[in-house]
Amino acid sequence: MRSLLAFSVAFVIAGSAQAQFGGFDLGKAVNNVSDLGKIAKGATGIGPEEERTIGGSVAIEIASKYGGILHDEAISRRVNLVGKSLARYSSRPDLQWRFGVLGSQTVNAFSAPGGYVFITRGLYDMLPTDDALAAVLAHEITHITRRHALNIIARNGAFSGALDLASQKSADVQKFDTGIDQITKTLFETGFDAPKEYEADSGGRQLAITTGYAPGGLRFVLEQLQANGGDPKKVFSTHPPLPERIKRLPADPAPPGDPAAAH
Amino acid sequence: MNPKLLALSAGMLAAIPPASAAFTSGGTAYTKRVTTDLLSDSKALAPVSAHVGYARKLKIDQIKGVWLHVKDGGNVGWVFSGNVSEDKPAENQGMDGVPLAASQTSATAAARPLAPAAEEYADRKGLAEAKGDVLWFEANSDAVKSEQIEDYLKTNHKGEFQ
Repeated sequence: MRSLLAFSVAFVIAGSAQAQFGGFDLGKAVNNVSDLGKIAKGATGIGPEEERTIGGSVAIEIASKYGGILHDEAISRRVNLVGKSLARYSSRPDLQWRFGVLGSQTVNAFSAPGGYVFITRGLYDMLPTDDALAAVLAHEITHITRRHALNIIARNGAFSGALDLASQKSADVQKFDTGIDQITKTLFETGFDAPKEYEADSGGRQLAITTGYAPGGLRFVLEQLQANGGDPKKVFSTHPPLPERIKRLPADPAPPGDPAAAH
Repeated sequence: MNPKLLALSAGMLAAIPPASAAFTSGGTAYTKRVTTDLLSDSKALAPVSAHVGYARKLKIDQIKGVWLHVKDGGNVGWVFSGNVSEDKPAENQGMDGVPLAASQTSATAAARPLAPAAEEYADRKGLAEAKGDVLWFEANSDAVKSEQIEDYLKTNHKGEFQ
């Protein structure tokens, strides 16, 4: 059940790892970035440098909380080959995409702004083929490319005000830290709303297809999760239940080579 | 039919690249990289016939499987559907609607390590070990170069090599 609970959160994390900035004063925090003037933000927008700073900070928190980064070069290479293949055909192909495996044996996945994508060792071990691995990574990539988290931040009035202060380059690390704290504290409490999760499901499926992976990869992974037991309604208290997500996906067969396809 | 064969056949059918349903002949597509190559034929290794810049609006005049024949003024050629977007790149304008130059978007981002502000965040929070892990993660991720991705795509018949 523990793994199931963690896995159930996995498909929400991409958003929750980035959401809930509240009064996050990012503009001040990036004062050390020498080319702040190049930040593409206009009056309230969030530019690549800001996104990179948010993502890097969240990535550190994720690594800290989920067993660190698995230092296995072969696994790192495989995840990056599959992940970067997908990212190449995403709507943000030139983002600095990076993919890695966390040491935790829980079953989970995360993404953060700027192209950071993580899956736990527990989840990695549940993905027997590149089709299945691609399905999970494509979902996370979609959260980033659709800017689900950044759009939430942009709608936050306090954040807009904070960006106005960015041009003054005055450091306010306390607000920055508070913003990151808000993200990490809410990782498992809140997440994107259901429509954004469905959007990541469908967008990720399409990205996998475009890249040449089997269309049924995500459905296979979700069905495996469901088959492993547990009450999806309980473990998905703030997210769409597994049956609902599966129902919204086309009835694609399990990817060839996956155990389910052979039975 | 043997159930295993049936399942395998279904799986193989599912793996066949679908037509670019989102794109239509007569419709439009947008470039999403700093430079996008248009090819003289609908094959990944066909000669390049033209280069087009970032966020260019292309007119689709023919679709062949996952390949689109497009025009951008005098530039004409084939492009793999995964190399263009249905929608204009979001980074073409800021969230406030202010137009951005391509140089201000991630389309020109070079591989860089952890942002200084993120490193300082880790130092303040006493997360030196996690910072070291993320630096290892970044270095190992960046070690997988575009040439290796290209080889992977060719070997596994992905992307434009399907």
